[in-house]
Amino acid sequence: MITGDSRQQVIPPTRSHVKAGFVVYSPDSGERNIIILDEGELAAVERTNGIKSTVFKMHPGDLVGVAALLEHENFRYAIEATEESTITVVTEECMESELKTLPVWMLAVIRSLSSKTRKLKDALHHTRCENTLKSLAEYCSHLEAKKKYPLKDLVREFHWLTRIPSSVIGEEFKALARRKFLVLEGNGEDATVYTVNPLLLQIFVDYQNATERNVNWEPFTLSLAQKRLLVKISSVDQSMSMDAPAWIGFFKEAKLQIDVTEWIRMQQFGWFKASRGNTFSPNTDKIKYYLAALRYETNIRGVL
Amino acid sequence: MRIATGEYVCLEGDKANTLFIVKSGMLVGSTKADAGAPLQNFGPGSIVGEFSLLESEPRDLTLRAAEDTEIQVIEQSTLQSTLDKHPGWLKSILTFLTARNRIAQENKRKNDLIQALPSLLYVFSAHLKETGADSIPLSLLHKKILALNNTPDEETDNLLASLESLGLLKVCGANDSDKSVKVESLQIIPLLYETLQYRALNQKVSPNILSMTEQMVLTTFVKIARESNVPLQNGLCTITTEQLKAEAKKSMHGLTLTSRTIAPLVEKNLLEPSSSFDIHAPLESVSFFFADFEKILDLLELNRIFPLLDKSLV
Repeated sequence: MITGDSRQQVIPPTRSHVKAGFVVYSPDSGERNIIILDEGELAAVERTNGIKSTVFKMHPGDLVGVAALLEHENFRYAIEATEESTITVVTEECMESELKTLPVWMLAVIRSLSSKTRKLKDALHHTRCENTLKSLAEYCSHLEAKKKYPLKDLVREFHWLTRIPSSVIGEEFKALARRKFLVLEGNGEDATVYTVNPLLLQIFVDYQNATERNVNWEPFTLSLAQKRLLVKISSVDQSMSMDAPAWIGFFKEAKLQIDVTEWIRMQQFGWFKASRGNTFSPNTDKIKYYLAALRYETNIRGVL
Repeated sequence: MRIATGEYVCLEGDKANTLFIVKSGMLVGSTKADAGAPLQNFGPGSIVGEFSLLESEPRDLTLRAAEDTEIQVIEQSTLQSTLDKHPGWLKSILTFLTARNRIAQENKRKNDLIQALPSLLYVFSAHLKETGADSIPLSLLHKKILALNNTPDEETDNLLASLESLGLLKVCGANDSDKSVKVESLQIIPLLYETLQYRALNQKVSPNILSMTEQMVLTTFVKIARESNVPLQNGLCTITTEQLKAEAKKSMHGLTLTSRTIAPLVEKNLLEPSSSFDIHAPLESVSFFFADFEKILDLLELNRIFPLLDKSLV
C-alpha cells in the first residue's frame, strides 16, 4: 500500500546493550556502520605485534564510522566496550534509507562536506605547483652556471621542495633541455645536468608568469625603433651619465627615432637608472635582460 | 531569488547564516587572496555557503552573477526544522563532518606551511649567495617562492613571521613596496636549508645537529674566545687546552673535559687540534685547538632554533 509517507520506508537503526569487553566493531569484518555511543564507554583499540593499545576512548554522544560509511574510508581500529554500554548502530542500508528522505539540499551539503574534506586530504600528498615547468626553471635558475650536477640528486631535491612526481620532473628537465636552457648528458644513474645561462631561466619564469596572467610580456612588445634604441644603449659605456635632453640628442645624432614619449617608455622599461644631478646612466642588468630575451625569443616561446 | 547579470550576491567576509543553491544561471566566486586566479564557477545544482548555514561562518567568497541567475536561499530555521524531522544522529553526523573538515583544513594549512619552508630557505640562500647581500626585497622573495612552489604571499609572510620570532631574520621597511628581509648571519639560512634537506632526504639527523655535550663544549670555546680579546686570524680563533679545561670546570656543570668529549667535534672538523689527536691519550697531549669562530657561532645558533622550528611553524 502506498501511503505517501516516506518515513515508513526508513530502516531504523539498531540499539543494543553490550557488556564490558564486547567487540562492537572489528576492522576485519568489512562492515561499514556508524556506531553511536548512547551510554557507557567504548574504546578504539589497535593491536600491533599482538600488543593491544587504546587509541582513544568514546563517551556518550560520540560516534565513529561516518567516513567509513559515507566515503568508504578504512577504519583501522577495533571498537570495544570498556564497560556495560548502550549503542546505536546505523548500517549502510539504514543510512541509505534515511538519506532518501532528506531534502536534496541537505544531501548536497553532506556530499559537499565529504568531498571537500577528501580533496583537502588528497592535497596533502600532491604538489601545489600548477606550472611544473616554470617551477623547475625557477629552481634551476639558482644552480651554479656550467657546473655539472648529478641529475638524480637534483630530481630528489626538487621533488622534496615541490612534491612534483619524479617522472614529471624528468620530463620537465628534458623540456628545458630542448629549449637549450640547460644541457643533459649521459643516461640513467650517471646522467648529469648543467645550466648554460641562469639568466635565461629567470627570463623564462618571467615570461611564463606573464603568459599565465594573459598579459603581454614587455620584451616581446618592443617596436623596431625601441629595439634599435636598446642595441644602441648596449654599445655605450655603462658609466656614461647624461641628463634626459642630452640622451635624446645622443640618440638623434645616431639617427634613431626618439621623442620624449619614447624616452619615458625607456624609463619604464628600466633601461636607465637615475644618477646624481638629474642624470641617467644605462642599467646594464636590464639591458642584458632585454637583449637576452630578444635573442632567445624562440627558445622562450618554445617554438623551436 | 533572481540575480541579474553582474549583480553581487555577497561579499567575502560578510556575516552570513544561509546556504545558496543555484537553480539556474551561473555564479562566479573570487577571493582577495586569489586575486588574478581563475574564478570559481557555480552552475545549476551547485551549493555555496555550507559553513555559513551550519556554523554562521562569514562568507569565504565574493559571489557575482555571471549571467541572469536564480538561487534558492536556505535559512538556519529551515535547517533546524529539517533536522527536527529526522533522528538525532543525523545532526551528529553533520557536526562530525563539519569538525572533520575543520581538522582537514587545519592540517592542510600546517602542511602547506611546513612544505613551503624549504622553498623559502632555498630561494633566500640562493639570493644571498648570488648577490653577496644580507637581505632580499620582500617582493622578490614573494615572486620567487610563488614561482617555485606556488606559495601565496600571505603564507610566505606567515613563515617569515615565524622565523622572525626565532630571531633568524628581520622584515624591515614600512611600506610593502620597499620591505626587505634581512639576516644577521649570511650562513644561517643556507645552514638551516642544508640541515632540513639532509633530514628529509636521508631520514636521519644532520651532522649539523649537535649533542648537548658538543654544544656545551663549543659554547665554552666561544666564551673563552670572546673574553680573551685575541684578534681572529683568518677567521680562526685559538684556545689552549688549559684554558678550555679550566673554563669547562666552571661552566659545564661538573662535566669533565676529556679527549673522548672533544673527539666528535674533532671528527666533524669543528675543532682542529694543534697536533695529532688520539682519543685514548690525555687531552693535555694536545696543547691547543683552533676553530672557525663564525662557523661555530652559526652552528650554535642553528642548534638553538632547530628544536623550536616545528613548534614555531604550526
